Amino acid sequence: MYQGDRLRRLWEIIKANLVALGQSNREKAVSLTVFEARELENMFVLLLLGSFTGIPAPPSFLAVELLPHLEHELKVLNRRAQDSTDALAEIMGAIDADA
Amino acid sequence: MKTIFFTGKGGVGKSTMSAAAAHQLSEKGYKVLAVSFDPAHNLGDIFNLELSHRTKRIGKNLFLQEADLEKAASEYIKTNTDILTEVYSYTKAFNLDMYFKVLRYAPGVEEYAALTALEKVLHNKGEYDIIVFDTPPTALTLRILALPRITITWIDRLRRIRRDILDKRHTVHTITGKYIAEGLKLPYEVKDDPVMNKLKELFDRYVAVAKLLESEENQIVVVMNPDYLSLRESQRIVDGLKDLNLPLRVSITNKYTPESKSIADEMEAELFKSKSLTNRHARVPLQPYTRDNSYRIDYDLAGLFF
Repeated sequence: MYQGDRLRRLWEIIKANLVALGQSNREKAVSLTVFEARELENMFVLLLLGSFTGIPAPPSFLAVELLPHLEHELKVLNRRAQDSTDALAEIMGAIDADA
Repeated sequence: MKTIFFTGKGGVGKSTMSAAAAHQLSEKGYKVLAVSFDPAHNLGDIFNLELSHRTKRIGKNLFLQEADLEKAASEYIKTNTDILTEVYSYTKAFNLDMYFKVLRYAPGVEEYAALTALEKVLHNKGEYDIIVFDTPPTALTLRILALPRITITWIDRLRRIRRDILDKRHTVHTITGKYIAEGLKLPYEVKDDPVMNKLKELFDRYVAVAKLLESEENQIVVVMNPDYLSLRESQRIVDGLKDLNLPLRVSITNKYTPESKSIADEMEAELFKSKSLTNRHARVPLQPYTRDNSYRIDYDLAGLFF
C-alpha cells in the first residue's frame, strides 16, 4: 500500500470518528430537550384527558376534537404510565447519571 | 346588531316578556328574530303557531325560531361518534361502535349543544337588527353563558404547553436536522401542527362568542315576580353574571299587582342596595288572561332597550 493511500485511509478514519463524536455530542445535547418535550407531551394529554384520571378537566369536547391528532402523545402517556414506578431511573438516564 | 337575553326563574314570564319585547321592537321598525332556547318552548304557544328550528316570518319585521336542542345534541354526538369511530376503527369489526351512543349522557353535552345552536343563530346576525333569546332555566343558562370563557381559558393554557412542546421539538430539529419519535415524523412548527391549528380554530370561535356576550351590544335581562323565591333566584343570576363578567342591563318585575307593591318595593330595594339592579328597571302589571295574542301587553318594553 502506498504511503499516500495509508494517509488517506487514516484521514478517513479520523474524519469518521470526528463526525461520530460530533453526532454523539449533539445527541447528548438534545437528549435532555427530547426528554423535556416528551414530559410536556405527557402533561398536555394528561390535562386534556383529565376526566379519565380524576383531575379537573377541560370541556370533554376539546379532547374529542383533538383526539385524531394525538396518536404520538397517547403513546407517550401510555408508556409514561407503565414506567411511572421507575421515574427516578428515567431522570437519571436523561441526565446521563447511570453511565 | 344587538342581542337581548331574557333570563329568570321558571314561570316568571321570560317567554312572554321576550315575545312582547320582540313584537314591540319589530313594530318600531327593527328587524327582529326571537329565538327560544327553552326546551319547554313556549314561544310558539304565545304566538299560537307551530314553530321549528327553521326561521318563520310572522310579520314584516318579526321572525321566530325554536332552537332544537335535542337535534343540536344529536348532531354534536354524531360528530363526536364519527371521530371516535374513525380513530378506533377496529371497534366496527366487533360492532362496538354503537356503545359510543352513551356519549349522549356525558356531562356537558347539553351545554355544548346549546352553545353550538347559539353560535349557529349568531352566524346569521347580519340579517337582523336585534336577536331576542328566551333562555332555559337559570342553571343551564348560566352554564351556557360561562362555557365560552371557560373553554377559552383551557384552550389558552393548552396552547401555551403546546407551544413549549413545539419550541423543544424545533430546538432538536435545528441541532439534529430531524424530529422523529417512534417512527413518526412530528411537526415542529406552529403552522404545521394540526393540534395547534385545531386549538386556534376553536379559540377564535369561542372568542367571537365571548366578545359578543360581553359587548355593549348585548343586553341581559333578568325577569322576576314579586315573590321571595324569584327574588332569591334572581340574586343567583345576578351574582352568576357578575362572576362571568357579563352585563346585566335591564330588570323587570313581572306580574306586578297593587297588592304585591310592598313585597316588590322590598325586593327591588334589596337588589338596588346590592347594586345588582340597573336603572333600567320596569314593573310590568299582571296582564289579563287572553287565549290569543298574549304577546300584546300593555307596557312599553321596547323603551327599556333603546
